[in-house]
Amino acid sequence: MALVDMDIGLRNLDILMGLENRVVYNLVDVIEERCKLRQALVKDKRMPNLSLLPAAQTRDKTAVNAEQMKVLCNDLKGLFEFVIVDSPAGIESGFQNAIAGAEEAVVITTPEMSAVRDADRIIGLLEARKDEIAQYRLVINRIRPNMVKNSDMMSVDDVLEILSIKLLGVVPEDEEIITSTNRGEPVSGTDNTRSGLAFRNIARRIRGEDVPYMDLDAQNGTWITRLVKFFNPAAVRV
Amino acid sequence: MTVQQVFNWLFRPATDTARDTAKDRMRNMLVHDRLELPAGRLESMEEELIAVVSRYFELDQDTTKFDLQQFERKAALIANFRLLRSKC
Repeated sequence: MALVDMDIGLRNLDILMGLENRVVYNLVDVIEERCKLRQALVKDKRMPNLSLLPAAQTRDKTAVNAEQMKVLCNDLKGLFEFVIVDSPAGIESGFQNAIAGAEEAVVITTPEMSAVRDADRIIGLLEARKDEIAQYRLVINRIRPNMVKNSDMMSVDDVLEILSIKLLGVVPEDEEIITSTNRGEPVSGTDNTRSGLAFRNIARRIRGEDVPYMDLDAQNGTWITRLVKFFNPAAVRV
Repeated sequence: MTVQQVFNWLFRPATDTARDTAKDRMRNMLVHDRLELPAGRLESMEEELIAVVSRYFELDQDTTKFDLQQFERKAALIANFRLLRSKC
């Protein structure tokens, strides 16, 4: 599987994956033919099947165009089973380039009003390219089950209803993400975290598996799990 | 906090929650966003519609209602005119 960081000028995926010291060439080098595609790909530390194509840090979004991205995505499709392109924020050329070679899209939002409004705009733009992008689904990130329960925050169903879009997954707010990112180890690879499980479920759904959605309310658990948690906070994680 | 206030808080209407307010604001905002509808435009159209229908019918102005709803990702304008009698 290949991961393409399209946020040219604001490179970050290398840090999240702990690969920042291994980056030699980047996406713009490939497009401007300063290196071969294979030379620019950085293999993940734990998963040899996973490679990162880093963004350039010293250039900006104008360094590539949609046509070049299509060619690049096609080349990557020949080498990998899955190619995931991480789009920069916004709806400008960076986003348009990122979706140029895409067959499917995953829209990620948090359950906050400004984020949902932006997601709606993105969905509108994806819809306008129905011919190329066969399907798009939503991931709701950083949901806080307790706040939803107290009606202080929109729920997963609220967001789905407002956006009229299919759900791909829900990731609960989790401090573990900060610690794992600081270590350069993506939370998806850590066994005992709720957010990690959520990410693995999303991956399985992308592969076509029918994975039930996790019960976010289970966070508080029964009195027994609460008691265990009280004495050993690290022990109980679903 | 008085007893009355506690009572009011306990039995506050459901729409007072931050979640429901957010939902209502979101729905309204997205209908306008998707139609690229500037604020106030809808209201001026409603006034015109009322004026047109009023030429033919006497209307119960108090119950006249306009509602923008969304079906899937398309908007629908639901207008409700209570007609009292025709103007011949």
